[in-house]
Amino acid sequence: MTPHSTLTERYVAAAVRSLPENQRDDVERELRASIEDDIDARIESGVSSDAAERDVLTELGDPSGLAARYSERPLYLIGPTNFLVYRRTLVLIVSMVAPIASIASGAAHALAGDAIGEIIASVVVTAFTSAIQIAFWLTLVFAVLDWSGASRRGPLVPWTVESLPDVPERRAQLGDTIASLVFLGLAVAFVFYQQFLPVAWNREGAVDAPLLDPALWSSWIPVILVLMVLEAVSTIVKYRAGGWTWPLAILNIVLASAGGAVVAVLALAGSLYNPAFFAAFPWGTSAGILGVIAVGTAVLSIVIALWDAIDGVVRTARMPRGSRA
Amino acid sequence: MDDVTAQHLQELRRGTVVLACLVTLERADYGYALLESLATAGFSVDANTLYPLLRRLERQGLLMSEWNTEDARPRKFYRTSADGRELATLLRRDWDALHTAISDLTEGTSS
Repeated sequence: MTPHSTLTERYVAAAVRSLPENQRDDVERELRASIEDDIDARIESGVSSDAAERDVLTELGDPSGLAARYSERPLYLIGPTNFLVYRRTLVLIVSMVAPIASIASGAAHALAGDAIGEIIASVVVTAFTSAIQIAFWLTLVFAVLDWSGASRRGPLVPWTVESLPDVPERRAQLGDTIASLVFLGLAVAFVFYQQFLPVAWNREGAVDAPLLDPALWSSWIPVILVLMVLEAVSTIVKYRAGGWTWPLAILNIVLASAGGAVVAVLALAGSLYNPAFFAAFPWGTSAGILGVIAVGTAVLSIVIALWDAIDGVVRTARMPRGSRA
Repeated sequence: MDDVTAQHLQELRRGTVVLACLVTLERADYGYALLESLATAGFSVDANTLYPLLRRLERQGLLMSEWNTEDARPRKFYRTSADGRELATLLRRDWDALHTAISDLTEGTSS
Protein backbone atom coordinates (compact mmCIF):
# COMPACT_ATOMS: atom_id res chain seq x y z
CA MET A 1 0.00 0.00 0.00
CA THR A 2 1.18 3.47 -0.81
CA PRO A 3 1.33 5.95 2.05
CA HIS A 4 -1.47 8.05 0.49
CA SER A 5 -3.94 5.19 0.41
CA THR A 6 -6.61 6.84 2.53
CA LEU A 7 -8.14 9.22 -0.04
CA THR A 8 -7.97 6.61 -2.80
CA GLU A 9 -9.50 3.98 -0.52
CA ARG A 10 -12.31 6.34 0.36
CA TYR A 11 -12.86 7.27 -3.29
CA VAL A 12 -12.98 3.68 -4.53
CA ALA A 13 -15.28 2.63 -1.71
CA ALA A 14 -17.65 5.49 -2.46
CA ALA A 15 -17.65 4.72 -6.19
CA VAL A 16 -18.44 1.00 -5.94
CA ARG A 17 -20.88 1.20 -3.03
CA SER A 18 -23.98 1.50 -5.20
CA LEU A 19 -22.89 -1.05 -7.83
CA PRO A 20 -24.46 -4.52 -8.03
CA GLU A 21 -22.78 -7.04 -5.72
CA ASN A 22 -21.38 -9.20 -8.55
CA GLN A 23 -19.52 -6.27 -10.17
CA ARG A 24 -18.30 -4.57 -7.03
CA ASP A 25 -15.04 -6.45 -6.34
CA ASP A 26 -13.97 -6.46 -9.97
CA VAL A 27 -14.61 -2.74 -10.51
CA GLU A 28 -12.96 -1.95 -7.17
CA ARG A 29 -9.75 -3.78 -8.06
CA GLU A 30 -9.56 -2.31 -11.53
CA LEU A 31 -10.38 1.23 -10.46
CA ARG A 32 -7.80 1.17 -7.68
CA ALA A 33 -5.13 -0.08 -10.09
CA SER A 34 -6.03 2.61 -12.64
CA ILE A 35 -5.88 5.35 -10.01
CA GLU A 36 -2.55 4.11 -8.70
CA ASP A 37 -1.12 3.87 -12.22
CA ASP A 38 -2.13 7.47 -12.83
CA ILE A 39 -0.69 8.65 -9.49
CA ASP A 40 2.61 6.87 -10.15
CA ALA A 41 2.88 8.44 -13.61
CA ARG A 42 2.39 11.90 -12.12
CA ILE A 43 4.89 11.29 -9.32
CA GLU A 44 7.42 10.24 -11.96
CA SER A 45 6.89 13.55 -13.74
CA GLY A 46 7.82 15.41 -10.55
CA VAL A 47 4.55 16.03 -8.72
CA SER A 48 4.46 15.33 -4.98
CA SER A 49 2.54 12.18 -4.07
CA ASP A 50 -0.16 14.05 -2.14
CA ALA A 51 -0.79 16.50 -4.97
CA ALA A 52 -0.77 13.67 -7.53
CA GLU A 53 -3.42 11.74 -5.63
CA ARG A 54 -5.61 14.81 -5.20
CA ASP A 55 -5.29 15.70 -8.90
CA VAL A 56 -6.17 12.20 -10.10
CA LEU A 57 -9.23 11.91 -7.85
CA THR A 58 -10.38 15.45 -8.67
CA GLU A 59 -10.20 14.68 -12.38
CA LEU A 60 -12.22 11.50 -11.90
CA GLY A 61 -14.90 13.66 -10.29
CA ASP A 62 -17.78 12.86 -7.98
CA PRO A 63 -17.62 9.10 -7.23
CA SER A 64 -21.42 8.89 -7.45
CA GLY A 65 -21.18 10.19 -11.01
CA LEU A 66 -18.59 7.54 -11.86
CA ALA A 67 -20.80 4.87 -10.28
CA ALA A 68 -23.73 6.06 -12.41
CA ARG A 69 -21.59 5.65 -15.54
CA TYR A 70 -20.56 2.15 -14.50
CA SER A 71 -24.14 1.09 -13.86
CA GLU A 72 -25.51 3.19 -16.79
CA ARG A 73 -28.04 4.82 -14.52
CA PRO A 74 -29.39 8.21 -15.59
CA LEU A 75 -28.16 11.31 -13.77
CA TYR A 76 -31.51 13.06 -14.05
CA LEU A 77 -34.93 12.66 -12.51
CA ILE A 78 -37.00 12.70 -15.69
CA GLY A 79 -35.28 12.32 -19.04
CA PRO A 80 -36.21 13.84 -22.40
CA THR A 81 -38.16 10.71 -23.47
CA ASN A 82 -41.04 11.31 -21.10
CA PHE A 83 -40.46 14.90 -20.03
CA LEU A 84 -43.12 16.33 -22.37
CA VAL A 85 -45.66 13.69 -21.31
CA TYR A 86 -44.78 14.48 -17.69
CA ARG A 87 -45.21 18.24 -18.16
CA ARG A 88 -48.51 17.89 -20.02
CA THR A 89 -49.91 15.49 -17.44
CA LEU A 90 -48.79 17.73 -14.58
CA VAL A 91 -50.36 20.87 -16.06
CA LEU A 92 -53.59 19.02 -16.90
CA ILE A 93 -54.07 17.40 -13.49
CA VAL A 94 -53.04 20.44 -11.44
CA SER A 95 -55.26 22.79 -13.46
CA MET A 96 -58.22 20.44 -13.01
CA VAL A 97 -57.81 19.21 -9.44
CA ALA A 98 -56.40 22.26 -7.64
CA PRO A 99 -59.34 24.63 -8.42
CA ILE A 100 -61.95 21.95 -7.65
CA ALA A 101 -60.27 21.00 -4.39
CA SER A 102 -59.82 24.61 -3.27
CA ILE A 103 -63.40 25.59 -4.15
CA ALA A 104 -64.72 22.50 -2.36
CA SER A 105 -62.64 23.34 0.69
CA GLY A 106 -63.79 26.98 0.63
CA ALA A 107 -67.42 25.88 0.27
CA ALA A 108 -67.07 23.49 3.22
CA HIS A 109 -65.72 26.29 5.41
CA ALA A 110 -68.44 28.66 4.18
CA LEU A 111 -71.19 26.12 4.98
CA ALA A 112 -69.68 25.64 8.42
CA GLY A 113 -70.20 29.38 8.92
CA ASP A 114 -66.51 30.27 9.22
CA ALA A 115 -65.21 33.83 8.97
CA ILE A 116 -64.33 35.21 5.52
CA GLY A 117 -60.62 35.21 6.38
CA GLU A 118 -60.70 31.53 7.25
CA ILE A 119 -62.54 30.70 4.02
CA ILE A 120 -59.99 32.59 1.90
CA ALA A 121 -57.12 30.97 3.78
CA SER A 122 -58.58 27.49 3.22
CA VAL A 123 -59.00 28.17 -0.51
CA VAL A 124 -55.39 29.38 -0.89
CA VAL A 125 -53.87 26.65 1.30
CA THR A 126 -55.85 23.88 -0.40
CA ALA A 127 -54.89 25.09 -3.88
CA PHE A 128 -51.23 25.22 -2.85
CA THR A 129 -51.06 21.90 -1.00
CA SER A 130 -53.02 20.00 -3.65
CA ALA A 131 -50.70 21.35 -6.38
CA ILE A 132 -47.63 20.38 -4.33
CA GLN A 133 -49.01 16.91 -3.58
CA ILE A 134 -49.87 16.23 -7.23
CA ALA A 135 -46.48 17.52 -8.42
CA PHE A 136 -44.63 15.37 -5.88
CA TRP A 137 -46.40 12.09 -6.60
CA LEU A 138 -46.45 12.57 -10.37
CA THR A 139 -42.74 13.43 -10.40
CA LEU A 140 -42.05 10.34 -8.30
CA VAL A 141 -43.96 8.09 -10.72
CA PHE A 142 -42.13 9.47 -13.77
CA ALA A 143 -38.75 9.34 -12.00
CA VAL A 144 -39.33 5.64 -11.19
CA LEU A 145 -40.21 5.05 -14.86
CA ASP A 146 -36.86 6.52 -15.91
CA TRP A 147 -34.92 4.86 -13.13
CA SER A 148 -36.35 1.42 -13.85
CA GLY A 149 -35.51 1.77 -17.55
CA ALA A 150 -39.16 1.70 -18.67
CA SER A 151 -38.61 5.00 -20.49
CA ARG A 152 -36.13 3.33 -22.84
CA ARG A 153 -39.05 1.87 -24.79
CA GLY A 154 -40.16 5.35 -25.78
CA PRO A 155 -42.67 7.86 -24.43
CA LEU A 156 -45.77 6.63 -22.58
CA VAL A 157 -48.03 8.56 -24.94
CA PRO A 158 -46.49 8.61 -28.43
CA TRP A 159 -46.96 11.80 -30.36
CA THR A 160 -49.08 11.62 -33.51
CA VAL A 161 -50.16 14.25 -36.01
CA GLU A 162 -53.73 13.88 -34.69
CA SER A 163 -52.64 15.48 -31.42
CA LEU A 164 -51.76 18.72 -33.22
CA PRO A 165 -53.79 21.63 -31.84
CA ASP A 166 -55.91 23.78 -34.15
CA VAL A 167 -54.20 26.85 -35.63
CA PRO A 168 -54.20 29.32 -32.70
CA GLU A 169 -55.90 32.26 -34.49
CA ARG A 170 -59.01 30.44 -35.81
CA ARG A 171 -59.61 28.50 -32.62
CA ALA A 172 -58.84 31.47 -30.43
CA GLN A 173 -61.11 33.80 -32.41
CA LEU A 174 -64.26 31.76 -31.92
CA GLY A 175 -63.37 30.79 -28.37
CA ASP A 176 -62.45 34.36 -27.41
CA THR A 177 -65.58 35.80 -29.00
CA ILE A 178 -67.91 33.38 -27.19
CA ALA A 179 -66.04 33.78 -23.90
CA SER A 180 -66.14 37.61 -24.12
CA LEU A 181 -69.85 37.71 -24.97
CA VAL A 182 -70.75 35.26 -22.19
CA PHE A 183 -68.67 37.25 -19.70
CA LEU A 184 -70.20 40.58 -20.75
CA GLY A 185 -73.71 39.06 -20.63
CA LEU A 186 -73.09 37.74 -17.13
CA ALA A 187 -71.69 41.11 -16.02
CA VAL A 188 -74.70 43.03 -17.36
CA ALA A 189 -77.06 40.46 -15.81
CA PHE A 190 -75.25 40.78 -12.47
CA VAL A 191 -75.67 44.58 -12.39
CA PHE A 192 -79.48 44.14 -12.63
CA TYR A 193 -79.61 40.98 -10.52
CA GLN A 194 -77.84 42.49 -7.52
CA GLN A 195 -80.34 45.37 -7.41
CA PHE A 196 -83.40 43.13 -6.97
CA LEU A 197 -82.20 39.77 -5.64
CA PRO A 198 -79.83 38.86 -2.80
CA VAL A 199 -76.18 38.10 -3.67
CA ALA A 200 -75.03 37.32 -0.12
CA TRP A 201 -76.23 35.79 3.08
CA ASN A 202 -75.44 36.49 6.72
CA ARG A 203 -76.47 34.57 9.84
CA GLU A 204 -80.01 35.96 9.74
CA GLY A 205 -80.53 34.97 6.09
CA ALA A 206 -80.41 36.74 2.75
CA VAL A 207 -79.01 40.28 2.61
CA ASP A 208 -81.66 42.33 0.81
CA ALA A 209 -79.58 45.47 0.32
CA PRO A 210 -78.04 45.71 -3.22
CA LEU A 211 -74.25 45.33 -3.48
CA LEU A 212 -73.76 48.44 -5.65
CA ASP A 213 -74.79 51.90 -4.43
CA PRO A 214 -78.38 52.44 -5.78
CA ALA A 215 -77.56 56.17 -6.29
CA LEU A 216 -75.35 55.07 -9.22
CA TRP A 217 -78.40 54.10 -11.30
CA SER A 218 -78.95 57.75 -12.10
CA SER A 219 -75.28 58.45 -12.77
CA TRP A 220 -72.54 55.94 -13.55
CA ILE A 221 -74.27 52.56 -13.93
CA PRO A 222 -75.78 53.59 -17.32
CA VAL A 223 -72.27 54.62 -18.45
CA ILE A 224 -70.83 51.26 -17.41
CA LEU A 225 -73.67 49.41 -19.17
CA VAL A 226 -73.08 51.42 -22.37
CA LEU A 227 -69.34 50.61 -22.19
CA MET A 228 -70.16 46.90 -21.87
CA VAL A 229 -72.54 46.99 -24.82
CA LEU A 230 -69.91 48.80 -26.93
CA GLU A 231 -67.37 46.14 -25.89
CA ALA A 232 -69.82 43.41 -27.00
CA VAL A 233 -70.39 45.14 -30.35
CA SER A 234 -66.64 45.52 -30.95
CA THR A 235 -66.15 41.83 -30.09
CA ILE A 236 -68.69 40.82 -32.74
CA VAL A 237 -67.17 43.24 -35.29
CA LYS A 238 -63.74 41.78 -34.54
CA TYR A 239 -64.94 38.22 -35.17
CA ARG A 240 -66.65 39.13 -38.42
CA ALA A 241 -63.54 41.03 -39.56
CA GLY A 242 -61.54 37.81 -39.08
CA GLY A 243 -59.51 39.00 -36.10
CA TRP A 244 -57.86 41.98 -34.50
CA THR A 245 -57.17 45.19 -36.47
CA TRP A 246 -55.41 48.33 -35.24
CA PRO A 247 -58.62 50.45 -35.08
CA LEU A 248 -60.26 47.72 -33.00
CA ALA A 249 -57.19 47.51 -30.75
CA ILE A 250 -57.35 51.28 -30.17
CA LEU A 251 -61.11 51.15 -29.51
CA ASN A 252 -60.38 48.31 -27.07
CA ILE A 253 -57.81 50.45 -25.24
CA VAL A 254 -60.31 53.33 -24.96
CA LEU A 255 -63.14 51.09 -23.70
CA ALA A 256 -60.90 49.21 -21.25
CA SER A 257 -59.34 52.40 -19.85
CA ALA A 258 -62.74 54.09 -19.50
CA GLY A 259 -64.29 51.10 -17.73
CA GLY A 260 -61.27 50.52 -15.48
CA ALA A 261 -61.00 54.22 -14.60
CA VAL A 262 -64.72 54.60 -13.77
CA VAL A 263 -64.78 51.56 -11.47
CA ALA A 264 -61.45 52.44 -9.83
CA VAL A 265 -62.37 56.09 -9.16
CA LEU A 266 -65.82 55.16 -7.82
CA ALA A 267 -64.30 52.49 -5.56
CA LEU A 268 -61.64 54.85 -4.18
CA ALA A 269 -64.24 57.60 -3.67
CA GLY A 270 -66.30 55.13 -1.62
CA SER A 271 -69.35 55.50 -3.83
CA LEU A 272 -69.21 52.17 -5.70
CA TYR A 273 -70.55 49.85 -3.02
CA ASN A 274 -73.72 50.22 -1.01
CA PRO A 275 -72.86 50.94 2.67
CA ALA A 276 -76.12 49.23 3.70
CA PHE A 277 -74.92 46.02 2.07
CA PHE A 278 -71.73 45.81 4.12
CA ALA A 279 -73.56 46.95 7.25
CA ALA A 280 -75.39 43.61 7.18
CA PHE A 281 -72.13 41.92 8.21
CA PRO A 282 -70.34 42.19 11.57
CA TRP A 283 -67.12 43.28 9.79
CA GLY A 284 -68.92 45.62 7.40
CA THR A 285 -68.61 48.75 9.51
CA SER A 286 -64.85 48.56 10.03
CA ALA A 287 -63.20 51.40 8.10
CA GLY A 288 -60.09 49.25 7.65
CA ILE A 289 -61.87 46.38 5.92
CA LEU A 290 -63.94 48.75 3.76
CA GLY A 291 -60.70 50.51 2.79
CA VAL A 292 -59.08 47.21 1.80
CA ILE A 293 -62.14 46.30 -0.30
CA ALA A 294 -62.09 49.74 -1.99
CA VAL A 295 -58.37 49.65 -2.81
CA GLY A 296 -58.57 45.98 -3.83
CA THR A 297 -61.45 46.72 -6.21
CA ALA A 298 -59.59 49.70 -7.69
CA VAL A 299 -56.35 47.75 -8.19
CA LEU A 300 -58.21 44.77 -9.66
CA SER A 301 -60.17 46.91 -12.13
CA ILE A 302 -57.01 48.74 -13.25
CA VAL A 303 -55.07 45.47 -13.65
CA ILE A 304 -57.90 43.90 -15.66
CA ALA A 305 -58.21 47.02 -17.86
CA LEU A 306 -54.42 47.13 -18.45
CA TRP A 307 -54.29 43.43 -19.23
CA ASP A 308 -57.23 43.73 -21.63
CA ALA A 309 -55.66 46.73 -23.42
CA ILE A 310 -52.20 45.12 -23.72
CA ASP A 311 -53.71 41.77 -24.77
CA GLY A 312 -55.48 43.50 -27.68
CA VAL A 313 -52.28 45.20 -28.85
CA VAL A 314 -50.22 42.00 -28.58
CA ARG A 315 -52.79 39.97 -30.49
CA THR A 316 -53.05 42.63 -33.18
CA ALA A 317 -49.27 42.66 -33.59
CA ARG A 318 -49.31 38.86 -33.89
CA MET A 319 -51.96 38.79 -36.63
CA PRO A 320 -50.53 37.68 -39.99
CA ARG A 321 -49.52 40.61 -42.20
CA GLY A 322 -52.20 41.89 -44.55
CA SER A 323 -55.13 40.86 -42.35
CA ARG A 324 -54.79 43.59 -39.71
CA ALA A 325 -54.92 46.66 -41.96
CA MET B 1 -10.95 27.81 -28.54
CA ASP B 2 -14.41 29.15 -27.81
CA ASP B 3 -17.20 27.08 -26.24
CA VAL B 4 -19.20 26.57 -29.41
CA THR B 5 -16.21 25.21 -31.34
CA ALA B 6 -15.21 22.98 -28.44
CA GLN B 7 -18.73 21.61 -28.18
CA HIS B 8 -18.96 20.79 -31.90
CA LEU B 9 -15.55 19.14 -31.88
CA GLN B 10 -16.54 17.09 -28.87
CA GLU B 11 -19.76 15.98 -30.55
CA LEU B 12 -17.92 15.03 -33.73
CA ARG B 13 -15.39 12.94 -31.81
CA ARG B 14 -17.71 11.28 -29.33
CA GLY B 15 -18.52 8.28 -31.48
CA THR B 16 -14.94 7.80 -32.64
CA VAL B 17 -13.68 6.86 -29.17
CA VAL B 18 -15.33 3.43 -29.44
CA LEU B 19 -13.67 2.84 -32.79
CA ALA B 20 -10.32 4.02 -31.43
CA CYS B 21 -10.63 1.62 -28.48
CA LEU B 22 -11.57 -1.36 -30.67
CA VAL B 23 -8.65 -0.68 -33.01
CA THR B 24 -6.09 -0.03 -30.26
CA LEU B 25 -7.10 -3.08 -28.23
CA GLU B 26 -6.20 -5.47 -31.04
CA ARG B 27 -3.20 -5.67 -28.74
CA ALA B 28 -4.38 -6.36 -25.19
CA ASP B 29 -3.91 -3.48 -22.80
CA TYR B 30 -5.16 -2.16 -19.43
CA GLY B 31 -7.21 0.93 -18.61
CA TYR B 32 -4.58 3.51 -17.74
CA ALA B 33 -2.19 2.47 -20.53
CA LEU B 34 -5.04 2.69 -23.06
CA LEU B 35 -5.90 6.16 -21.74
CA GLU B 36 -2.28 7.21 -22.35
CA SER B 37 -2.02 5.75 -25.85
CA LEU B 38 -5.35 7.31 -26.87
CA ALA B 39 -4.16 10.69 -25.55
CA THR B 40 -0.90 10.32 -27.49
CA ALA B 41 -2.90 9.54 -30.64
CA GLY B 42 -4.95 12.71 -30.14
CA PHE B 43 -8.07 11.26 -28.49
CA SER B 44 -8.30 13.07 -25.20
CA VAL B 45 -10.85 10.89 -23.38
CA ASP B 46 -11.59 11.52 -19.71
CA ALA B 47 -10.68 8.66 -17.41
CA ASN B 48 -14.16 8.69 -15.91
CA THR B 49 -15.61 8.14 -19.40
CA LEU B 50 -13.12 5.55 -20.61
CA TYR B 51 -13.20 3.11 -17.66
CA PRO B 52 -16.99 2.68 -17.66
CA LEU B 53 -16.92 2.54 -21.49
CA LEU B 54 -14.51 -0.43 -21.44
CA ARG B 55 -16.90 -2.31 -19.14
CA ARG B 56 -19.86 -1.50 -21.37
CA LEU B 57 -18.02 -2.75 -24.48
CA GLU B 58 -17.09 -5.89 -22.58
CA ARG B 59 -20.71 -6.42 -21.53
CA GLN B 60 -21.73 -6.04 -25.18
CA GLY B 61 -19.25 -8.77 -26.14
CA LEU B 62 -17.03 -6.43 -28.16
CA LEU B 63 -14.08 -6.74 -25.76
CA MET B 64 -12.75 -9.65 -23.75
CA SER B 65 -10.92 -9.20 -20.49
CA GLU B 66 -8.42 -11.07 -18.40
CA TRP B 67 -6.75 -10.29 -15.09
CA ASN B 68 -2.98 -10.25 -15.19
CA THR B 69 -1.73 -10.95 -11.68
CA GLU B 70 1.90 -11.56 -12.58
CA ASP B 71 2.94 -7.96 -12.00
CA ALA B 72 3.15 -6.38 -8.56
CA ARG B 73 -0.06 -4.49 -9.37
CA PRO B 74 -2.81 -6.75 -10.76
CA ARG B 75 -4.37 -5.20 -13.87
CA LYS B 76 -7.36 -6.00 -16.01
CA PHE B 77 -6.35 -6.39 -19.65
CA TYR B 78 -8.88 -5.88 -22.43
CA ARG B 79 -8.67 -7.27 -25.94
CA THR B 80 -10.95 -6.78 -28.95
CA SER B 81 -13.16 -9.85 -29.54
CA ALA B 82 -14.23 -11.27 -32.90
CA ASP B 83 -17.51 -9.32 -32.63
CA GLY B 84 -15.54 -6.21 -31.75
CA ARG B 85 -13.34 -6.66 -34.80
CA GLU B 86 -16.41 -7.04 -36.99
CA LEU B 87 -17.91 -3.86 -35.55
CA ALA B 88 -14.63 -2.00 -35.99
CA THR B 89 -14.54 -2.99 -39.68
CA LEU B 90 -18.12 -1.80 -40.11
CA LEU B 91 -17.44 1.48 -38.30
CA ARG B 92 -14.35 2.11 -40.41
CA ARG B 93 -16.30 1.48 -43.59
CA ASP B 94 -18.89 3.98 -42.41
CA TRP B 95 -16.13 6.40 -41.47
CA ASP B 96 -14.66 6.13 -45.01
CA ALA B 97 -18.12 6.60 -46.53
CA LEU B 98 -18.62 9.74 -44.42
CA HIS B 99 -15.22 11.02 -45.45
CA THR B 100 -16.06 10.48 -49.13
CA ALA B 101 -19.48 12.09 -48.69
CA ILE B 102 -18.02 15.15 -47.00
CA SER B 103 -15.33 15.44 -49.71
CA ASP B 104 -18.00 15.20 -52.42
CA LEU B 105 -20.05 17.90 -50.72
CA THR B 106 -17.02 20.16 -50.38
CA GLU B 107 -16.07 19.72 -54.04
CA GLY B 108 -19.71 20.20 -55.07
CA THR B 109 -19.86 23.60 -53.38
CA SER B 110 -16.47 24.84 -54.62
CA SER B 111 -17.07 24.03 -58.31
